[in-house]
Amino acid sequence: MADKCLVEPNLEFIKEVVGLGGDTLKKCFQCATCSVVCPIAPDNKPFPRKEMIAASWGLKDKLVGSMDIWLCHNCGDCTTMCPRGAKPGDVLGAIRSYAISEYAVPKFIGKAVNDPKKLPVLLGLPVVIFLVLGFITGLLDFTPGGDKIVHSNFFSSWLVDMIFVPLAAWAVVVFGIGLKRFVNDMHENAVLEGKTDKKKLEIGGLIRGLFSVIPTILKHSKFSECDENKERATAHLMVFYSFIGLFIVTNIFFVVLYVFQIHGPYSQMNPVKWLANVSGIALIIGSALMIKNRMGKTDQVTSYKDWYLLILVLGLGATGMLTEMTRLAGIAGLSYALYFIHLMFVFHLFIFLPFSKLAHLVYRTVAMAYGEYGNR
Amino acid sequence: MDKKYGVYICTGCGIGDVLDTEGLCGVPKEEGIGVKTHPFLCGKEGVELLKKDIADDGINTLIIAGCSRRVNFDVFNFAGCIVDRVNLREQVVWSHPRSEFPALTEEQKDDGEHFDRLQMLAEDYIKMGMAKVEKIDLPEPSMLETISKRILVIGGGITGISAAIDAAKAGYDVTIVEKEASLGGNAAKIRKQLPNEDPFESLIPPIIEAKIKEAEAYSGIEVKTNSIVARIAGQPGEFTVTLKKPGEATEFDVPYPLPDEMKVDENGKELDVEKLIEVYNEYNKGKKDILTLDPDGELFGAVILAAGWRPDKLEGKAFTHLGFGKLPDVVTNYQFEEIAAKGKITRPSDGNEAKSVVFIQSPGKGDDDSDFDYTGSVTSLVALKQAQYVREDYPEGKAYIFYQHMRTPGLQENFYKSIQQDEGIFLTKGDVISVAKNGDGLIVEADNTLLGEKIQVKADMVVLAAGMVPATVDDPVINLAYRQGPGFRDNAIFNEYADSNFICFPYETQRTGIYAAGCIRRSMTIEESIEDATGAALKAIQCIESVNRGVAVHPRSGDMTFPDFFFQRCTQCKRCTEECPFGALDDDEKGTPKPNPTRCRRCGTCMGACPERIIGFADYNIDSIGSMVKAIGVPSEDDYSEPPLRFLGLVCENDAYPALDIAGMNKLTYSADVRFIPVRCLGSVNVIWIKDALSQGMDGIFLLGCKHGDDYQCHFVKGSELADIRMKKIGEALTSLALEEERVAQFQVAIDEYDKIPEIVNTFVEMVEKLGPNPFKGF
Repeated sequence: MADKCLVEPNLEFIKEVVGLGGDTLKKCFQCATCSVVCPIAPDNKPFPRKEMIAASWGLKDKLVGSMDIWLCHNCGDCTTMCPRGAKPGDVLGAIRSYAISEYAVPKFIGKAVNDPKKLPVLLGLPVVIFLVLGFITGLLDFTPGGDKIVHSNFFSSWLVDMIFVPLAAWAVVVFGIGLKRFVNDMHENAVLEGKTDKKKLEIGGLIRGLFSVIPTILKHSKFSECDENKERATAHLMVFYSFIGLFIVTNIFFVVLYVFQIHGPYSQMNPVKWLANVSGIALIIGSALMIKNRMGKTDQVTSYKDWYLLILVLGLGATGMLTEMTRLAGIAGLSYALYFIHLMFVFHLFIFLPFSKLAHLVYRTVAMAYGEYGNR
Repeated sequence: MDKKYGVYICTGCGIGDVLDTEGLCGVPKEEGIGVKTHPFLCGKEGVELLKKDIADDGINTLIIAGCSRRVNFDVFNFAGCIVDRVNLREQVVWSHPRSEFPALTEEQKDDGEHFDRLQMLAEDYIKMGMAKVEKIDLPEPSMLETISKRILVIGGGITGISAAIDAAKAGYDVTIVEKEASLGGNAAKIRKQLPNEDPFESLIPPIIEAKIKEAEAYSGIEVKTNSIVARIAGQPGEFTVTLKKPGEATEFDVPYPLPDEMKVDENGKELDVEKLIEVYNEYNKGKKDILTLDPDGELFGAVILAAGWRPDKLEGKAFTHLGFGKLPDVVTNYQFEEIAAKGKITRPSDGNEAKSVVFIQSPGKGDDDSDFDYTGSVTSLVALKQAQYVREDYPEGKAYIFYQHMRTPGLQENFYKSIQQDEGIFLTKGDVISVAKNGDGLIVEADNTLLGEKIQVKADMVVLAAGMVPATVDDPVINLAYRQGPGFRDNAIFNEYADSNFICFPYETQRTGIYAAGCIRRSMTIEESIEDATGAALKAIQCIESVNRGVAVHPRSGDMTFPDFFFQRCTQCKRCTEECPFGALDDDEKGTPKPNPTRCRRCGTCMGACPERIIGFADYNIDSIGSMVKAIGVPSEDDYSEPPLRFLGLVCENDAYPALDIAGMNKLTYSADVRFIPVRCLGSVNVIWIKDALSQGMDGIFLLGCKHGDDYQCHFVKGSELADIRMKKIGEALTSLALEEERVAQFQVAIDEYDKIPEIVNTFVEMVEKLGPNPFKGF
C-alpha cells in the first residue's frame, strides 16, 4: 500500500549535507520566519521553510530536483533572522552543492572537487597533462628565444587549443547530461508539489522562459532584492560581467587566430584588448571583494568548496593580469612561469566547471527559466 | 470590649479637593462621635495622631476614611483596635470626577431639587463604616487542645520521598505510606531519566535509588511499605490516621456517603431521616461512623498527597484507527518504557529488533487536535527520550514523532534542541490518520504535516503517548472520614486532578491540611515532581504552624476568625454541611453540624447558606453587613423632587473589589448611585441582605464575583456558582412580590478586567432606571 506519499529518510544524505556546510540544518523548528523574510521567495509554497524540514528528514529526492533551491540567491536574510541559528541560507547552499555533484557525471570527479585531500592530485593533473602533451608534440619550449616575449613561443597556441577546446566540449557534454536529468526531475517535483501550472514539459516554452529571464540575470535584479548581503551583489556582478567579457575576448581572439591567421600578442590600443584588460581587473577586484565579504561574515559558513572557487577565480584574474604586466615589463622568465600557472587555473575552470560551485551559472539559469515558464 | 469610636478623614490624594470635608465630618458628629481630619494620614505625623488618640483618649475602634483597605493595611494596623477603612479615594474621588458629578452651587443647596451625588456617596460610605464597626468584634483564635506536628506522606515515589526529605530537613517528623513492597514507584521503572540539571541536554541514569538512600539517612523519616490509608479522621493539627494492608477490610475503613439513588424509595420519594440513617448504616455495615476516632490511630498534623499516577491503559477508548489493541506492535509509552528498561528495543509481536519507531502524541480525530487525556509537557519530553532509546540501540535506527503540541518548557528546551540534532530523529506536527499493518511491519499515515502533504512512514513499532492518570481517579486514596465523603468532591472542575483553583494556589486541594504534589496534581517530569514536593512540604509546614496559632492557613492566611454557630436555633437542615466547599462540617446523626475550625478556610459559604442566619464570624456576620446595608441613605420624593435611585453592589473581595480599585486608579468612571460592600466570597452572601436592601427601597442589587465555568477563578472552589444558584431562587421570590426579577443580578469579572467595570455597572443602572424606582420606596 506504500505509494508516492511514503517518506523514507536517507540518513546518508543528511550526513552529506551536514558535511557540505549544512551542519545547522537540524536546528530548524519550523517557525517559517525564513520564508516570511525571504525577499525573493514566491507567495505560493515559499522557500526555504519546506526545504529545511525536507533536509532534516533526509528527503533527498524532494530536494535535489527542486527548482526552489536554485531560485534562492543565498541572500542570507533568512540566516540572519532565524531564531534558532539554523542558517537556512547555508543549508540551501549545501543542498545545491550536493545537487551539483548529483547531476554531474562521472560522480567521482564531483567528490574529488569537494574533497580538500584531493587538491594536490587535482593541481598536479594539468601540470602532468601540459608537460606530457608538450613533450610528445614538442609544442612546449622551455627556452623560447627572441627579444620580444611571446607566450606562444613557450606554450604554443596549438598546444593550448589542443587541450582547451576538448575541455570546453567536455564541460558542455557533462552539463548536457546533467541538465537533461535535472530538467525532468525539476518538472516532476514541481508538478508533485503544485509549484507549476504546466502538466507537460515543453522544451520550447522552457527556452522562451530562458530568454525572458536573461534581463533579470544581466541586471542581477533578484540579487539586489536581498537586504542582508546587498554588498555581495556588486562583487558578484563584477565577476559575472568580467567572465562575460573574457568569454567574448577569448572567442574573438580564437576567430582572429584561426580565420585571420593573426598571432598575438595584440596591441594595447586594440579595443578588444581594452575589454580584456577591463574584464581582468574587474575579475580581480570582484573576487577580492567576495573574499573580503566572506571573511567579514563570521556567521556564514565558508566551506572548502567556497574557498576553492574563490581562489580559483582570484587566481585566474591575478595570474592573467600579472602575465601581461610582466610581459610588458620584459621579465621573461617570470612571465612564462605565470602564464603556465594561469593555464593551470584555466584548466581547472574548464574541467571542473560542471562539478564545482560555479556550475550554479547553468543550474540556476535553467531553474529560473523553468520558474518563468512554469509560472512559479 | 467597650468600644470607643473615632472617625479619621484623610484629605490627601485629592479627597479634600473634591469633597466637602465639613459635610463629611457632620456624619459622625451627628452621632456624637469624635472626628478628625488630616491631609496626610498615612504619613508619620498622621499615624502619630492616631497612636496618640489610641493612647491618650482610649480610642479602640477607628473608622479611617481615605484610601482603599487594599493599601496601607500595615500602616493602619493597631494592636487591640478594631480598624475599618472607608474607601473615599479609589471608589469615590478617583472614579467620579467633578466634571461629571458637579458640586452644588450656593443657590442649589437645599433647594429640594438639586443634590450632590458624590458627597452623598462619600457620606454613605462613612455611615456604613460606622455601622459596621458597631457590629463587629476583635477575633480570638480557636485553639486545638493538642497538636501533632507530624506529617503523613501518602506515596513513596519520587515526589513522596522528596517531600519527606524536605520536611525532615526542616525538622518535622514524617511517615511515608507506600502501598507497594518497596519505595520508588514509577520512577524506579525507567531505563533513563530526563535531564534534571544544567545544561539539560542529555539523558541521565535514574536518580531514584540515590533519593531513597538519602531519605533513609534521616531518623525523622519513618517508612511504612505495604500500607495504605484506611481513614483519616479529625482535622488538620489532629488528624487521626488508621493504616492498613492493601486489600484488607477493617472496621475503620472509611464509610461512604449514600449515593443519590439510595436516598429515595422505589417511587422516587425522598426517604425520611430515620430511614436514611437505617439505609446508611446498612450501606456502611461493619464500618465505624466518621465521628468515631480510632483509639489506635496515629496522630498527624498535615498530609502530603503524593500518590502519583498510573499509566492510562487507553482501553475501551476510541483509538482503533491507531491500531491500538488490534496490532500487537502498537503500544503505549509506558509499555515501551518497560521494554526499553529490560534491554534492547524489540517488537512485542515477534521479538525482532524495532529499528523504526513512530511516536504518536495526539490521537488526531477530525478537527480535535488535543493530546491524549492526562498528558502534558512530560509526555512530549518522554517521546523525545524514547526516540533517543531507538537511536541508542540501533545506529541506523529511525524515530519519528508526530505531534500536535511539542511542549518542552523551561530549560528542557535544551533537551529538545539536542534531540533535534540527532540525524535519525524526525519530528513533525501532523494529524495521524491511521496505523495499519504493512507486510511484516506497520505503516503510519498522517495529514497536514510540516512536510506539506499527506505522508506515510514505515514502522516496526508505534508508540502512543498515553497520559498519566492521577491515582485519585480510581480511588479516594485519602479516605477522609468527612461527612461529604472520603475524597475530593469537585475534581471534575480541574480535569480530575487534585486541585482547588485553575490558576493559583498550587498544592492546595479542596481539603485543608491535605497538600497535593507531583502527578496527582498534573502530569510532571521527575524534576518537576521534586520541585513540587518542596512546595507541598512547605504548605504542610505552613498548615501546622498556622493551626497551632489558631489562624487560617489559606487563602485568608493568618485570619483569626472562624465560623461561630448559634446552635439553639439550628434546624438541622444540613445546608451548611453540604455546601461547604472544604467539607469542614460533619453533622451528627440528627444533622447538627460539628464544626472543625482547622479544616475551615473562612470563606463564609456556610453563613451564606444558613436560612436561620445563625452562622457568623467575629468581624463578618449577617448583622454587620446587614447594618451596612441599612446605613445606606435611600432618598425618596420627600427629599427631592426627582430623587436619585440607589443600588447595592456586593462584591467579592478577591477579584471584583481589587478590579474596582484598579478602575479607580485608572480614572474610569461609573455611576455614583451604587454603594459597594466587599464580601469574603459571593458564596457567603446571605439572601437576607438582598431582602433588606429591597425592603428599604433600594432599586437594584447586583453581585460582582469571579468567573466560573471552564477557567474557574474562585478562591473557594465555586462560591460564585453557588451564589448564582441562590440568586436564581431569589428571582422567583421577587416575582411573587410584584418586583421585577431583573432588579437582582450577578456579574462576573476577573481581577484584570477592571476596564469592564464601568460598562457592567452603568448598564445595570440604566436598565433599572428604565424599570423605574422600587415601588416599596418610602414605606
